[in-house]
Amino acid sequence: MCDNSSRFSTRDIAMIGLMIAVIEVCKAVLSFLPNVELTTFWLIMFTLYFGRKVMAVVPAFILVEGAIYGMNTWWIMYLYIWPLLVLVTWIFRKEESALFWAIFSGIFGLCFGMLCSITYFFIGFSSGGITAGFNTAFPWWISGIMWDIVHCVGNFIFMLVLYTPIRNVMKRFL
Amino acid sequence: MEKKSTKKILIGAVILVALIAVFALCYNKFAAKGTAGAKAIVIEVVDENGNSTKYDVNTDAEYLKGAMDELAESDDSFSFSGQEGDYGLMVEVINGEQAIYAEDNAYWALYVNGEYGNYGVTEQPVVDGDTYTWTYESAE
Repeated sequence: MCDNSSRFSTRDIAMIGLMIAVIEVCKAVLSFLPNVELTTFWLIMFTLYFGRKVMAVVPAFILVEGAIYGMNTWWIMYLYIWPLLVLVTWIFRKEESALFWAIFSGIFGLCFGMLCSITYFFIGFSSGGITAGFNTAFPWWISGIMWDIVHCVGNFIFMLVLYTPIRNVMKRFL
Repeated sequence: MEKKSTKKILIGAVILVALIAVFALCYNKFAAKGTAGAKAIVIEVVDENGNSTKYDVNTDAEYLKGAMDELAESDDSFSFSGQEGDYGLMVEVINGEQAIYAEDNAYWALYVNGEYGNYGVTEQPVVDGDTYTWTYESAE
């Protein structure tokens, strides 16, 4: 299903630009809905169909994000969260069920806040050790759980609805 | 292959449901909850016939109007309204009983701990332990 040749062609570079553009446009369009996003959906689809080459998309996407919105703690979180998503997607790349990927996206959305709180753990840890790290990260994660559930539901629905039609289009053109 | 995939979906679904349950439990147990207002006051209404109704209110409101707004929201038996003027709200109706000086020859007087109040409802500070009494008073 994915293209695993290691060399980047001109076409690949153009495609990477297009992938980032697609993610950014969707992000901008959905920005009025908190924690509802298509970035997860697209990164999963791109990993499934572009294989290892998506590893060039992620850092470029993160850099573009930082350039647009400014680099803050959220940007540090992006440095490990999106590569982690791509990595885990790569492990399950043979799966083709829409329901499987919907569940996968849902779990990722649900755990997003917990993954983000790792950054806060280290912020707290740097000033007061493990206890301070925990006391910084845990309440931050807890206070956002309701939004993580929104994230989970949004991811689940988007993947369930869009997986098959987008997969068919990608299969036809790639 | 099909069987394997179904198994993975099932495992995934169980993990998702379990995570939602655990996260929801954590949220209920550890999320910061709003606490009852720090100031405990009594708002009392004495109607035209001298009948008194007391309301215990816990509030963080700075001024009496804020505390009365909170009470009206939480207790259907209490309501008030009035006219906005240069000195804030002029209370005209409490619990459905109107006291407009020009029409009824009566007014709602505000007492703070039994003493005639010096401020309107909008400017009356709320102090822990105080009793604010609205009394229907006919003009002599």
